[in-house]
Amino acid sequence: MSFFRVIMPATIDHLGDFIASLSRWLQQQGLAAEKIGRVQLAVEEALVNIFRYAYRGKPGEVEIRGGIVEDNRFVIEILDSGAPFNVCSLPQPDVKSGLRERKLGGLGVFLIRNMVDELVYRREGDRNVLTMIVAKSNGRFSSSRQKVRAGA
Amino acid sequence: MEIDVRKEAQAVVMSLTGRMDAVAAPQFDRTAADLLAQGDRRIIIDFASLEYISSAGLQSILALAKQLEDSQGSVILSNLAGPVREVFDISGFSLIFPIYDRCEDALASL
Repeated sequence: MSFFRVIMPATIDHLGDFIASLSRWLQQQGLAAEKIGRVQLAVEEALVNIFRYAYRGKPGEVEIRGGIVEDNRFVIEILDSGAPFNVCSLPQPDVKSGLRERKLGGLGVFLIRNMVDELVYRREGDRNVLTMIVAKSNGRFSSSRQKVRAGA
Repeated sequence: MEIDVRKEAQAVVMSLTGRMDAVAAPQFDRTAADLLAQGDRRIIIDFASLEYISSAGLQSILALAKQLEDSQGSVILSNLAGPVREVFDISGFSLIFPIYDRCEDALASL
């Protein structure tokens, strides 16, 4: 069983290294390029939130862990020790409004939700833990949950 | 990300290559600000060689479009495909902008 783990400072200049190292591991584990792209987007959005808000200007670190469960599901956890912040509690942005009414911001978490099959937040001790689950082999737009529902 | 700027009679074409992530988006903002300062009001953004975009990139494009709307200008998109197209569709950005299959079609529309 292969695991991935990387810890780096929570600053935007490390974004590329976080994404590149995680992507290498995902590729080695056989995740399809298209799905790697989706994970990259979800992880970037989560990281940028942490870089901007978690440590409120003070230095801090981010850890990314990766693992595979049930032979098929990639579990990616993003951990920070910043202020408690439940990404999953944010309201949905309005994605139907026109140019004039469109607000800048608020899209990141919406994109995360659309890129992964499951998204779970928990506060563990003094850390925020955001868990993303991506199935290795299913249809492009079907999540593992939908699969279960369809079979029931 | 690389940004190639080409001035045509009808509009300026910004061709994006590579990845428009949170690190690259400010680079787009600076180029766009330069074009606005030069008086350009019609901007075509061509995505033929862009392989990735995140919300930071979307916000940069939205910010430019909002500025141009205030001055009777416009942003037109061309060559949206693959994962970049998917992000535009999911976020509803496909509904905000005129989109053409090819850059030439976007130019011809002006």
